[in-house]
Amino acid sequence: MSRYIIKRLLYLIPVLFGVSIIIFGIIHLAPGDPAQVMLGPRASEQDIIQLREELGLNESLPVQYFTYIKNAVQGDFGNSIQTGRPVFEEIKSRFPATLKLSVLGMVLAIVIGFPLGVIAALNQDTWIDKLSSFLALVGFSIPNFWAGLMLMLLFASIFPILPSSGYGSWKNLVLPSLALAIQTIAVIARMTRSSMLEIIRKDYIKTAKAKGISAKLVLVRHIIRNALIPVVTIAGLYFGHSLGGVVVTETVFSYPGIGRLLVSAIRSQDYPVVQTGVLVFAAGVGVVNLIVDIIYGYLDPRIKAQYRAIKENDQEKLDMIGNESSIDKKMKEEGEDVDAK
Amino acid sequence: MSRKKLVSMMLISLFIIFALTLTGQAQEGEKETLTVAQVADITTLDPQKANDIYSANVMTQIYNKLVKMDKEMNIVGDLAKSWENPDDNTWIFNLKEGIKFHNGQDFTAEDVKFTIERLKDPSTASPGKWLVEKITEVEVVDDYTIKLITNEPFAPLLSNLARYEMFILNKEAVEKYGENYADNPVGTGPFMFEEHIYGDKVILSKFEDYYKGPSDIEEIVYRAIPEDATRVIEIESGGIDIMYNMPVQELDRLGDAKNLNVIETLGQSTLYMGFNFKVEPFDNKKVRQALNYAVDKKGIIDAVFYGKANPSYGPLSPSIWGFDKTLEPAYPYNPEKAKKLLEEAGYPDGLEITAFTDPRTTRKNVTELVQAYLSQIGVKVDIQTMEWSRFLSETASGINGMFILGWTGTGDADGGLYPRFHSSNMNSSNRHNWATDELDTLLEKGRTTVNTKERKEIYKEAQRYIIEEASDIFIAVTENIAVATNNIKGFELYPSNINPLYNVKIEK
Repeated sequence: MSRYIIKRLLYLIPVLFGVSIIIFGIIHLAPGDPAQVMLGPRASEQDIIQLREELGLNESLPVQYFTYIKNAVQGDFGNSIQTGRPVFEEIKSRFPATLKLSVLGMVLAIVIGFPLGVIAALNQDTWIDKLSSFLALVGFSIPNFWAGLMLMLLFASIFPILPSSGYGSWKNLVLPSLALAIQTIAVIARMTRSSMLEIIRKDYIKTAKAKGISAKLVLVRHIIRNALIPVVTIAGLYFGHSLGGVVVTETVFSYPGIGRLLVSAIRSQDYPVVQTGVLVFAAGVGVVNLIVDIIYGYLDPRIKAQYRAIKENDQEKLDMIGNESSIDKKMKEEGEDVDAK
Repeated sequence: MSRKKLVSMMLISLFIIFALTLTGQAQEGEKETLTVAQVADITTLDPQKANDIYSANVMTQIYNKLVKMDKEMNIVGDLAKSWENPDDNTWIFNLKEGIKFHNGQDFTAEDVKFTIERLKDPSTASPGKWLVEKITEVEVVDDYTIKLITNEPFAPLLSNLARYEMFILNKEAVEKYGENYADNPVGTGPFMFEEHIYGDKVILSKFEDYYKGPSDIEEIVYRAIPEDATRVIEIESGGIDIMYNMPVQELDRLGDAKNLNVIETLGQSTLYMGFNFKVEPFDNKKVRQALNYAVDKKGIIDAVFYGKANPSYGPLSPSIWGFDKTLEPAYPYNPEKAKKLLEEAGYPDGLEITAFTDPRTTRKNVTELVQAYLSQIGVKVDIQTMEWSRFLSETASGINGMFILGWTGTGDADGGLYPRFHSSNMNSSNRHNWATDELDTLLEKGRTTVNTKERKEIYKEAQRYIIEEASDIFIAVTENIAVATNNIKGFELYPSNINPLYNVKIEK
């Protein structure tokens, strides 16, 4: 397993290279000049040229990119144009804040969204189901900056129980992470519901029930566990999506994370900060995808068996699992849950 | 993997998250803390590297200058007790004695010399270098006397020395911390730097040895809250004590709140729609005047600034030293006159022009209103939006139309006029591409005349000349608006919007 993880982490390197080229291209193609922003409306042409020279902006783009990568590989991401501090320091000081916010947002989304979906599926077509569908639709349609402002108005202004903005105590995390989670809660609830409904109708569930397994056990071991797989996929995908939300949420709640850093860096064309900040986000998405794949392994033994076979270099077994679809089908036809042995 | 394992894994991860959230928790003390909200985080606390008002506001608590401007824009001594001019090129400053830096050292003339020389040094790459360009020599006469020599008589020197880039540094601290100086600033001001949590807040604490006596406030926290709505909710819910940059659309509602005070003062900057004189039809004075008469400035002020601004009197704000107090608002709304002037200029059927703006909402709104007013006299305006830095560089090299810009200057007429209208600033801050010998002479005389009465007369003439020539559609002088909670006493707004907080008291 650890070999698999290391391998996957190594795969991240070319991905990050790709991302760095794209983001470098985009920000340098965008109109604007950091030297002009820094020096303001009073700047003389000569001062601007001189500053551009000092910042290395007069070099050709490939040369600039190469210099950036060469230094970045050695851990030097340059200095922020805005503040003059090393970019590494800027990112490092804000990273924990963003990590807390995005992870807590995801945990809330799963902890709230999943049970909602389960309840809706178990009460299909009743008013509970309809209410939950309606709420999910609303939740999904609310842009998260607006959700943030409404939460703030409600819990900081009308019922002043939580601080409306800032950073420091756990109280500061509640509203932003909720605002961030609302859309994902809706998506996860919907996904769980449809995935559960699909599985409830499967023959192996009938079989399990026919075998006399208690309804509770069928639900927990057979339905929920199988329903989790697509949900985990969606949660993983939505983590990337919610990193986009982090940028907005952090700005609304004056939360000092990487998202807000990026917004102000983009405004002042602070190339080094934008480049590195986006890379951090990209790496975040990559790592989350890896975690999702690992969780798959635990949820679905077939996938884990695949890792093992690779590890043991067991070609025969691998071939067998490779034919998984046919085995799978056969098992399902026989009304046997792959997991219920 | 068993279910137990899965559950325990989830529990562990939950626990880790919980622990993570707890580690950042701050202890809330009993201190007298003043919390101030600004729109953005500071960029630096090294005054010679700063280029933004948010950093300047924090630095004004930490540092002192040789001289400063009071609320009425008069130059008064700060670290300097008095000054004299033995001749027009020499300035001798007598410094106050017994002033201590936050690191315990005494403030002396050596620190002044170090500050000015560091600012002049090209390797500092300071955006404020132009302030001391005329100073050729800095001589320490004794510990408490310093002599500055300029290469020509330079009257705006005092107002230049009153800018925030001129905060006096401690030589030892700057050398000791080197690249990290911005995170370890040392000044002589009433508050000492404690901590900067990047992107979030700056914390200052009271300096016990401040030469005027320690402040009543133990601690100042400057928070960065970029979103207007969030700042408003924060002040309503008591999370902050003072907020700058009050969003005007919320004024009616907040102004009625019993626990809040709205504080306003006329700002230093003017907002205008500048013409590039090299571009047709702006080379025609009658067209420029016609466009001016055609725009109802009051209408713009009511619609965009909710009445919280004054119509422009010309190129300078009334709060600037040298403003001609006899002036009336420039070019009052008169569409009939505008049409007539346009006809006289040879455009009886109207014309088509381009206006450039950056993407800020206020500026875009103003530009759209100008467009609407001009359409009523048959002038069709095509609006083009340009990202800020491109806007600055393209207008500097001469843009193909008119452009909306604000100008803050130094607080002295020279800072408001010389960069914008002198021939030496073509291709940079003279965005009008316009200079005449007459105006050049006036602006040079204004700089080199040390006698203040004569200077005022010179600038009077210069302002009238510029208004007559109609360099811009003169639009508005904006107001600085802040909101403070009722228990905050002694809080004042300065025209520069850089506001010292030494005299503020928190009432229980």
